[in-house]
Amino acid sequence: MTEPTHAPLHTVARGRARWHRIIVRPVLQRRARVAPAAQAIAFVIGIVLALIAGAMLLWGSGNDPATVYQRMAESSLGGFDALSRTLLRATPLAIAGLAVAVAGSMGLWNIGAEGQMMAGATVAAGFAMVAGDLPGPVLIVLMLVAGAVGGVVLVVGPALARAYLGVSEIITTLMLVEVAIRIVEWLKVGPWKDPESFGFAQISPLPDQASLPGLFGQVHIGVLFAAALLLAFWLAVSRTAWGYELRMAGSSPATARYAGISLQRKVLTALLLSGGLAGLAGAIELTGTATRLEPGLSSGYGFAGIIVAALALMRPSGVAVVAFVFGAVLRGGQSIQTLGVTSSIATILQAMILIGALVAAVLLNYRVRWVRPVGHPSEKSAPQAGPAPGGAPPSEGSSHPEASGV
Amino acid sequence: MSVPGDAAVSPGTGDGRVVVDLRGIRKEFPGVVACDGANLTVRAGTIHALLGENGAGKTSLVNVLGGVYLPDAGEIWVHGAQRQFHSPADAIAAGIGMVHQEFRLVPTLTVFENVVLGSAPRYLDMGQIIERVSHLAATYSLQIDPSRPVWQLSVGERQRVEILKALWRDADVLVLDEPTAVLTPAEAAALGLTLRSMADRGRSVIYISHKLDEVLSVCDEATVLRNGVTVAQPRSLVGIDRSDLAEMMVGEAAAAIQRPTDQPSGDVVLELAGISALSDRGLPALHAVDIDVRAGEIVGIAGVSGNGQRELAETIAGLRPTTAGTMQLAGVEVTGASPRARSRAGLAYVPEDRLGVGLAPTMSVVDNAVVRSYRSMRRRMMLDLQSCEDFCRRLIERFGVQVGRLHEPISALSGGNLQRLLLGRELTGEPKVLVAAQPTRGLDVAGIAAIQSQIVAQRAAGVGVLLISEDLDELLALSDRLIVMYEGQVAARMDPTQATRAEVGAAMAGTATA
Repeated sequence: MTEPTHAPLHTVARGRARWHRIIVRPVLQRRARVAPAAQAIAFVIGIVLALIAGAMLLWGSGNDPATVYQRMAESSLGGFDALSRTLLRATPLAIAGLAVAVAGSMGLWNIGAEGQMMAGATVAAGFAMVAGDLPGPVLIVLMLVAGAVGGVVLVVGPALARAYLGVSEIITTLMLVEVAIRIVEWLKVGPWKDPESFGFAQISPLPDQASLPGLFGQVHIGVLFAAALLLAFWLAVSRTAWGYELRMAGSSPATARYAGISLQRKVLTALLLSGGLAGLAGAIELTGTATRLEPGLSSGYGFAGIIVAALALMRPSGVAVVAFVFGAVLRGGQSIQTLGVTSSIATILQAMILIGALVAAVLLNYRVRWVRPVGHPSEKSAPQAGPAPGGAPPSEGSSHPEASGV
Repeated sequence: MSVPGDAAVSPGTGDGRVVVDLRGIRKEFPGVVACDGANLTVRAGTIHALLGENGAGKTSLVNVLGGVYLPDAGEIWVHGAQRQFHSPADAIAAGIGMVHQEFRLVPTLTVFENVVLGSAPRYLDMGQIIERVSHLAATYSLQIDPSRPVWQLSVGERQRVEILKALWRDADVLVLDEPTAVLTPAEAAALGLTLRSMADRGRSVIYISHKLDEVLSVCDEATVLRNGVTVAQPRSLVGIDRSDLAEMMVGEAAAAIQRPTDQPSGDVVLELAGISALSDRGLPALHAVDIDVRAGEIVGIAGVSGNGQRELAETIAGLRPTTAGTMQLAGVEVTGASPRARSRAGLAYVPEDRLGVGLAPTMSVVDNAVVRSYRSMRRRMMLDLQSCEDFCRRLIERFGVQVGRLHEPISALSGGNLQRLLLGRELTGEPKVLVAAQPTRGLDVAGIAAIQSQIVAQRAAGVGVLLISEDLDELLALSDRLIVMYEGQVAARMDPTQATRAEVGAAMAGTATA
């Protein structure tokens, strides 16, 4: 349009695909607010869509989706025994999820809850070896305390490094997972090896009185601990001055500092609490479901806790719901293997359901608008990109009065 | 739809050809209608001012033009053709260049690399590109060395890189969002020349600014928005003055606030003696600064941004450690004291960054209102939500904050309301000293008036006020004494009733003797 001051070397839009000139395009726009009810609905929709996709997977692998889904539902939700099996799995998930969420509510990521669970279980098992003569209730309570201590011990290094040196807690907590698991493996073949197991390497069994009392079906009393912890932390985070300071430090560190809140102390307490909770989850899993300490005891619950906390948006109330659903998915996925569904297909199915829920939660923050393009600017770049002697206006032929889709 | 194709464009202004025509643009965000039938007509070869109060919809409107937002309704016509921009790339391809308030540059790359980034020719001939970029810069009198890395550049130079980027993409419409907010007076003048030379070559500039004097001296035409609607489109600014423009913007003539003329004679409530401090990078930012503020007095701090004002405010608030010197607050030694101890000693602090330092963006209005007082609202371990809400309601009422719901995130509030809440929060509890950093920056006319009158009211109530501002008019109108900072030192102390803008400007540029 003007005398060309330079011949543009570029072709910004010349190569742009032309397909979206004819196709109605979806455009994602971020929502300012998301209603909590919508959150729940999206969660359900995501799971349903994943089940539909999963049906194709099952079909393709030679299974009847209807039968498989029926078994999944029945085995996890259908009746007292099924529910108890779901709750059995939801218990460690809820406590581990809460552990991650406590740190997450001030913007910290305790990725190593898995390791802290193992550390908690290890210290609890060690305590049972030393004080195995104590009466059941006393022993169990002390083992749970020992478990929390174990979790704290594993996280104290990352917490101090984060608070005083600014070292990312994501990396340090994650690396210590491996350390915790290897220590248990070493204990198994070394100092804690059961002398009565002859050549077979395993850790000595726990004393008989060191197992959590059952509640109903498969569920042990640990589910009540989980519920109490969720309630306590919900109150602490949303209703106390301590929780206010925690949320303030997470939302805006500079504001918190100005308000006289010690960020370092808050980072320390959040991470130590997180580790302690994960350790407690480990001890509850040990006393509730296991007869002895094993390297595979936490069986991924600590890592799953990250998903639980993220899906719950770091809110204790959400953790309860998500942990239950997650527990049902785990139980359902396990039960269908008796129908001949191979374990890899079952695992993929579980993963799809979780991804469905996750994607739905993310997409909920956006709304989709379908737009139909009017004249596409790529057409204009053609006359404009070349030098236009005489300054021919580039507007020729660039108008497309298609109806606007908006 | 298409303009007559035979109209050859002559260089220079005033051929009257419409380049950009926005018609009836509506853009709604949840709970807010930013634009509601806004029109903007920009002609080739003109510098077009886009005026309006904060929240009038200026930035939303140009973001629609720039492909950042899709409008809910309305039409975008560029060069006589209707367009729909799905992304900024679409708008760039249509010849719309945007220079946002926050620059979008890669600090580690050089100037020319930033300029050609994303539109580089397939086979890079560095020498040729540098030559072309230099030539382009020279054509529009943009002083810049194409081979310097961007991190070494000043803010003004970075802005030139942004303009070069737009020119490189052959933008015939350049949109600048408050371009002089970050510039020194000399840089602003140079920018004016560059824009004029663009207009002389037939390009158009859309110029968003709050500074009415600047608009009058730089721009040819204007569009005034009020509440998302275009209320005036003067085709010429000849014969129009400041108060005319202000009236179009607010609908009534805004009266400038003046401090009372009585002489303050209170005790010294804030005393800095030989204060030194380091910047975030660990370099000396304040050097042996002596400042004292008396009760019932407003001391203004002037200076080009980045000359230690931010560090000064943070040092007084206790957020930045001192390396030398002592500080007294209402007779209490507070050197090295915590922010909380200072606030208890009677310090109120309005930080430069309202959201992020003063207020926590994702927390609710109530949570933010009680930042200074939540400790007194504890009942055993629990926070008494009822008294928090009551406190917040009183604050909102007393300081005229407009809030939707008490428990919505504070970031939903507009700039003026954020500042009212923040200032109000700091002023409860009868402080002895108020340190306000850029308290009116980015606010609309009504918001500025509200904040300034609060500051004057605090002076009358016997509070010692340290007012740090980049708005020279504000400082000259409100201050009892004026201190100019340059490179972390007190460069000049002036009497605002005697000093001229030119003298203050010289001191800000470091050319006056202290």
